[in-house]
Formats: sequence, C-alpha cells, structure tokens
Amino acid sequence: MDSGILTYIIFTPMVMAFVLMISKADAKMTRNIAFLTGIVIFALSMKVFLDFQPVSYMQFIEYHPWIESYGISYYVGIDGFSLVILVLIAVLVPSGYLLLWEGRTKGYWISMLLIESGMLGALLSLDLMLFYFFWETMVLPVFLIIGMFGHAEKVFSTLKFTIYTISGSLFMFLAILYLGIAFHNEFDAWSFQLIDLAKITILSPTEKFWLFWAFMIAFMVKIPLFPLHGWLLETYKNAPTGGVFLLSSFMAKLGIYGVIRFVMPLFPSLYKEYSHIFVWLGLFGLIYFGIAALMQDNIKKMFAYSSASHLGFITVGIFMLNEYAFLGALFLIIAHAMATGGLFLLVGKIYYNLRTFSISRLGGLAKRAPLLALFFAVFLFSIVGLPGTNGFVAEFMIILGSFKRSIGIGIVSATTVLVAASFMLWMFQRALLQDTKNDVSKMVDLDAKEVLGLLPIAAIIIIMGVYPDLFTTKIEPTIYYYLHDILKVGM
Amino acid sequence: MEILYILPVIILGIGGISLMILSGIKNIKIKTYAYFTMGFLALSASASLLNLGKLYSYKLYPSIFHNMFIADSLSSYLVLLLISGGIFTMLVGKHYFERRDYFRGEFFALLLFAIFGMSMLVHSNELITAFISLEVASLSLYVMTGFNRANNRRIEAAFKYMVLGAFAGSFFLLGALLIYAQSGTTILGNIGIYLSSHQTGNLSLAELGGMAVVMLVFFKVSAFPFQSWTLDVYEGAPLPVAGFMAATFKIAIFGFLLRVIVVDFDTIFYNWHKLFYWVTILTIIYGSFLATIQKSIKRMLAASSIVHTGYMLIAISSIQQVGVKATTSVIFYLVAYFLSAIGSFGLLSYITSDERLRITYDDFKGFAKSHPYMAAVMSVFMFSLAGIPGTMGFIGKFYIFSSAIEAHNYILALIGILATFISIYYYFKLIAVMYFYDEPTMAQSAKLQGLSPKVIAFVALLLLWGGLGSNILFIPGVDFLINLAQTSYDSLLLPFR
Repeated sequence: MDSGILTYIIFTPMVMAFVLMISKADAKMTRNIAFLTGIVIFALSMKVFLDFQPVSYMQFIEYHPWIESYGISYYVGIDGFSLVILVLIAVLVPSGYLLLWEGRTKGYWISMLLIESGMLGALLSLDLMLFYFFWETMVLPVFLIIGMFGHAEKVFSTLKFTIYTISGSLFMFLAILYLGIAFHNEFDAWSFQLIDLAKITILSPTEKFWLFWAFMIAFMVKIPLFPLHGWLLETYKNAPTGGVFLLSSFMAKLGIYGVIRFVMPLFPSLYKEYSHIFVWLGLFGLIYFGIAALMQDNIKKMFAYSSASHLGFITVGIFMLNEYAFLGALFLIIAHAMATGGLFLLVGKIYYNLRTFSISRLGGLAKRAPLLALFFAVFLFSIVGLPGTNGFVAEFMIILGSFKRSIGIGIVSATTVLVAASFMLWMFQRALLQDTKNDVSKMVDLDAKEVLGLLPIAAIIIIMGVYPDLFTTKIEPTIYYYLHDILKVGM
Repeated sequence: MEILYILPVIILGIGGISLMILSGIKNIKIKTYAYFTMGFLALSASASLLNLGKLYSYKLYPSIFHNMFIADSLSSYLVLLLISGGIFTMLVGKHYFERRDYFRGEFFALLLFAIFGMSMLVHSNELITAFISLEVASLSLYVMTGFNRANNRRIEAAFKYMVLGAFAGSFFLLGALLIYAQSGTTILGNIGIYLSSHQTGNLSLAELGGMAVVMLVFFKVSAFPFQSWTLDVYEGAPLPVAGFMAATFKIAIFGFLLRVIVVDFDTIFYNWHKLFYWVTILTIIYGSFLATIQKSIKRMLAASSIVHTGYMLIAISSIQQVGVKATTSVIFYLVAYFLSAIGSFGLLSYITSDERLRITYDDFKGFAKSHPYMAAVMSVFMFSLAGIPGTMGFIGKFYIFSSAIEAHNYILALIGILATFISIYYYFKLIAVMYFYDEPTMAQSAKLQGLSPKVIAFVALLLLWGGLGSNILFIPGVDFLINLAQTSYDSLLLPFR
C-alpha cells in the first residue's frame, strides 16, 4: 500500500513554507496559502480516515532507506491511534487559522506551517531516529514564534521552553542510540525501526530501567506532567495565541502519544510495573494544577493550568491498564484538544480587542458578544465534562476504568474531577456573566469567518458527546491490540 | 604513477614558493594574488579529487624517503578537505581582504604554505617528518595571526601563540626521542610492530614518549589544560584566519593523531585511556564554561571550538574498543565541524568587513530585521554547531555518542549530552538576539554583492544536505560521507593485512 499519501500529508506544509520563504508573497498572501495548505491537509486526512480499515496493524506504510549504513529509514504508517490525532490536527489547524486571521506577519505563518509539518511527521514516524528528527525540529519554529511574536518576557520564556524540551529529548536521544546499539549487538544489523527495537531481548533490568526513564522524561516534559512543568506557566503566558493553541492542543497530546507509541511497546513490563506511579502523578497533577488554576486572575495562565490538569487526567487514563480508561483517555485527548484549543483562540480574540487577560476586567462580555460567549460556553462545558459533550463521555469512561482497577483510585479520581470541574464554571460565571461596570465596548463579536472556524469544533464536541460509537469503531481494534498483545493485560 | 598521489601537495608547495617570489614585485594588486592563489588551490583540489573514495595505501618513493611519507585514502580525503578549507577561506574572505589594506602578497603565500604543511602532516609516516610539517603549518599560522602589524592585540596573539606553540613543540621532540630510545625507530607502523611484539617487556620509555607526543596534539587542538591560548589567539587573529585555523588545523592534527593511535599505540592505549578520559571530560566542561560566559561572538565561537575538540576526544577515548566506529565518527565530525566553522567565521567576517564592527551579542540585536538572509544562514550554522537534527552536526554527534555508548563509555556520552544541552544556550542566544529584538542599532540595507554571500549560503546548504541527504535522490548523501570515512579507516590498516 505504497500510495505516498502520508508523505504528502507530512511534507506539503514544509514545502509550502520553504516556497513562501523565498517568494515575495506578503503577509496576507502567505496567510491565505497557509490556510489553503491546511485545507489540503484536511482533505488528504479525510481520505485516509475513510480508507482506514478498522484493524489493529499499521496501514498506509511507506518505507525508504535513508541512511543505509546505520539502518535509519524513512518509515511512516498509521494505526487507529495516530489516526485519531491526525484527524484532530487536520480539523483544528484550519479552524485555528480562521481565528488567527488578522494582524500577523509572514514569518508567523511560515512558522505555523513548519510546526504543522513537524507535528505530523512526529505523529506518523515509525523509525525512532526519524521520530526524533521531527520531534526536535518541531521545537525550533515554536522557539521562533514565541520569541518573535510573544508578549512581555518573551525571550526568557522562549529560551526556557527550548532548553527544557531539548534537554528532555536529549536523554531520549541517548536512549534511542543505546537501543540501536543493543539491537546491533543482538542481531548484527543496524535498525532504528520501532518493530525491530521492540524485539531486543538482551537488555538487563537496570538498563531497561534507565532507558524507560530517559524516554519518559522527554515525554513528561512535553505533556507536562508534575514535576517537570517548570516551563509551562511562562511559556503559555507569553506565547502568542497561535503558539499556545498549537502547544496545548497538539504538542502536549504528542507527549501522550509518544508514551503510548514508543514507551509501551518498547518496555511493556516496566510500563505495567510503574503504572501506579504515573496514575498517582497524574491524579496529583490533576489536583495540583486545578488548585493553581483557581488562583489565577490571568485567564491565559488559568487555562494553562487547567490544561495541565486535564493532561494529568489523560495520563491517569493511559496508565490505568484497562479498555475503558484507555478509550476514555483517547476520547479526552480529542475532547480536550478541541475545547482547550477553541478556548485559547477565543482568549486570543478577546485580547486582540480588549488588550487584557485579566478575568476581573472581562465581566459582562456575554452581553456585548453573545456568539463568542456561546462558543465559550460550549468549549467550557466540554472541559468541565457536562453531559452532552464529549468531555463527559471521556471523563466518565476514565472514572469507570479507575473503579475497575480499584475502588479507592476510582473514588479519588471521581472526586478530583468534580473539584477540578467546579473552578471552571466559577470562572465562566465571573468572566462572562457577571454584570460589572467594565468597559468592554471595544469588544467585537465573532464574524462569519470565525464562526465558520469554530462551528466544526463545537459540532464535533456535541456529536461525539451524543453518539460516541461513530468514532470508537475505528480505534477499538488498536486499543485491543495495545492492551492485549503488547501489554498482555486481561480485557 | 605514484606522483598522482602526492600531486596536490606538490602543487601547493610550488604555489607557495611562486607566490613568495611574486610578492617581492611591487605594483601587483591584491586581486591578482588572490586569483593566483585560487588557481593553485583549484588545481590542487582537482588533483586530489582523482583519488577520492578509492581504497589504497602506498609508501611514497621508499628508496628516497625511506617510508617517511605515506599516501592512503585517509590522507587523500583529509587533504581534499584542507584544500577546500583554503578555497572557502579565499572565497568567503574575499570581501574582507579587499577592505583591509594590510593584506599583501605574502599573506597568500603563507596561506598556501599553511595548507602545504598540514597536508604534509597527514601524509607523514614518521615522527620527525610530522614535526617538520607541523612547524611549517604553525609558523605560517603564527605570521598570519599577527599580520596586521598596526594592531597591538594581533601582535600579542601571534607572540603568545608562537611561544607557547614552540614550547609544546619541544615536548614532541622529547617524545620522539624517547620513543626512538625504546624502539630504535621513528617510523609509524614500525613502532607499532615493536610495541605489539614486546608487550610483556618494559615499555615505559615508549609510553612516556607517546604521551609527550600527544601533549603537542592536545596543545594544537586546544584540549584542557592546554587551551589557554585559544581565546586570545582567535580574538587577535583576523576573522578569516581564525575561521581557517578553526576549520583546517583540527583536521590535520586529528588526522595525524588517528594515524598514530590506530597504527601504533593501539596496543598500549589502555594505559592512556585514563588520560584521554579525564582530558576529554575536563576539556568539555571547561570549554562549555568558557563559551557560556563570553560576550563577544568571536570569543564564544573560539571557546565552543574547545568543546568540539572535546566531542572528538570522546570518540578517541573509545578507540580501542570500537576502532572502526570511533575513527569514522571522528572523521565525519571533522567534516561537520569544518563546514560549520568555515561558515560561521566566514559569515562573521563578511558582516564585519563593511559595517561598523559587530562584536558582542548585543550588537546583533535586530539583525534579522535588517539582514534577514544572513540571519537565516547564521541560524543554520548555529543549529549545526548545536547538533540540531536536520544538520550535519547532528549526524556527527549521533556517531560520536553512539561510538561512546558502544564502547560502554556511558559517562563520556552523558557529559557530551550535557555539553550539547549547555551549547543550546550559547548558540541559541545568538539566534534569539538576532530575531527577537527590535533594535536595528546599525540599520543598513543588506549588501549582498559579490561571491562571498553565495559561497556562505552554499556552505549552509552543504550542512543541511549532510544532515538530510540520502542516496535515494541520486546525489551522494550522508551514506557517501560515511563510506569515505570508512574507507579512510580501512586504508590505515591496509599495510598490516
């Protein structure tokens, strides 16, 4: 099945970025082309989605040797799990562009395109060196976009972000090298393909221990999981809207994705052995970031923390080792990416009009901009997990899975979710519904184009909440495969 | 046709001498000298291309030189690199040379002599010959460093370099003497045969001698604790010279070191392992520290060159366990560093040649706004130096670290990774300063005339290609470079098969 469609998906934005870089197109032209590229990626991804067979193995595989002397190859493919995130990126990116429409420069759009390519490449790679390549190159445009278009202490935050993420992934790089050499020692051939490296049997428990943590640290920084969240606050606060949108909706999810795609098959026994640590880390993060979010007056900081809090919950889901929680975590990945992405875009819109992030100065916004408030509410309900949204289905399934593991964990996660949910509603009430004397007259409501961008997101949130089966059929075989064949836990 | 193997070096020698003679004549313009130099370099390069990629090893004219010179795949590959170093320096520095009135004909003669000396060094198969070649190259570089007589700093740099260099050189001679006292020969290969056949006996003289020889090597590549000259000399030297030194001298010295270790001292290397181990660690740590605290870009690049020496020493420390891999990774890394150094120093010299001097990080504020093209190219060099995937520097680090892991030198690999991580700070700081500030303090429209910017951009493309290129696209890519390095290693051991 060497149709080459995944290659087009990965490289179209990158090629367009380079073409735009050397062309003389102005900012508007660049933006339009970037948007069109997003649409093309969406169309291609839809084709992949429709042609995708609901089976557990990799599909649309493409393989080309790259650096033959060391068995590094261009090897991409897709399974149910990466399909979910692919569709997510394909839908959300063009929507996001519509909301970021105004007042940007050419460099901004080129960086956005490069980030999109990096994310798609990291998502679809099945060779660890190729994955590492995309994983690192994805950081560089983020570095530029925060430094060039961010707010306040942007240079400090961008250096902090870069050093955090790159230092995390450098340990992963060592671990990848180590695995490659172990493979070479055992099989007398070079390869960095995931399926090959998973076959290694000669590693001692100590070696596995270090390798496992080297991988986990790289992903924990990206998610970010407590206690490696040091970069989170400043980056989210000072990054421009587009940067925050990409970071929260996709990059954090790619951290989770990395854990499932690479850590799980490479170290299945350790994954099971340490799962309780991550469950507790995740639950702790859920509460810790939830409380931190409560105290913020800066709306962006608050969403940054609430986003980290939800990622803690997703982590709980994937380490719960049963089907409900796992499926719930995947659902929450989609739900959270859509909701939080939408919220950050709206916050960007509010900032663009009112030049403030302070919650206390936003009161009465709903009267001035009813459409904005409506979408705000839908996204917020999904984050809170109100029935009828996909957030509810996701959180319900994770809690169900927790109870299946043990009553204690189930009770803890159920209560923490409730607590975490409450602060969101409180914020919504404070920010939008309160009738204060704030001057929000400069606020302009969403225009048709922006509504067009947000409508699909809101629609998916509700459709997934009402009729979840539509989405689960394609991914269930993959989940079964991961849990049953790789982790070998009873279903 | 033995002459074919040494032809590039002969052309360089003839070129140097004839330029020396020409420089006595007044009324010849700098441009003319430059064209002459380029002509000789181009001739020499095309001669060295003839043997590229072939696996061979010949002693040159054994009846005359008595096995003192060798020509093999390693030497031909490195000579090609050295010559291209010269060519790039000429092309990139053209702008700079034309705008400084102190450059005269002798300078170009010295440049050719320096390349000649370095090429002889990689060809030499005997300790005294190596010393002479090394001194030819060093003396030329001393003079080139202090070429601007009007500038006291240059004189200081040149003098410092010369005195310390001569001092370190005397150790080399002592070492050669001790080795001769033990084994009765200074011919490489024969020493190795002696050492491996007397492994049970007392080899302390040879070991001590070997260490003294290695000391000069450490000095020249500025490894700890012999790094103190580096910053001042690089700062004092004219920028194109600094770039030339950083890029090429390491190639020649490491080429010689590889030959010495792989051919001769492999059998007693375990005695040195501790030495190399600690020198490596300290070089990396101290170099990273130095690079972090610099305010001037030129000094930062000089300090970071110490760190890059450290990376290569990581591989050399692993040479006994994984000979092929360690050697090839050093050779590969030399190429990667060569391109990055030539590019970054060259670009700096281009920038400073017709503007007010940009020296510190702060001077580069807003550079991307006024010179978007040059800022982008500079970023590529920084990415490569920092080892970001997609550049040749990354593949270089990939080999170095994987050879260290394969040799179970985990601590070295870890230190290398930490240094890489610190290097992100000082390399990215430049990018951050260029892109994230809005102070075009020296607003001047970009002048992209002439050959220099095109050549610099070409170097940047080479770096990207060296990190991404694949043979599938019908142009020799990364695999090609790896094969060249592999062939070079094989040729080292060819005479002993």
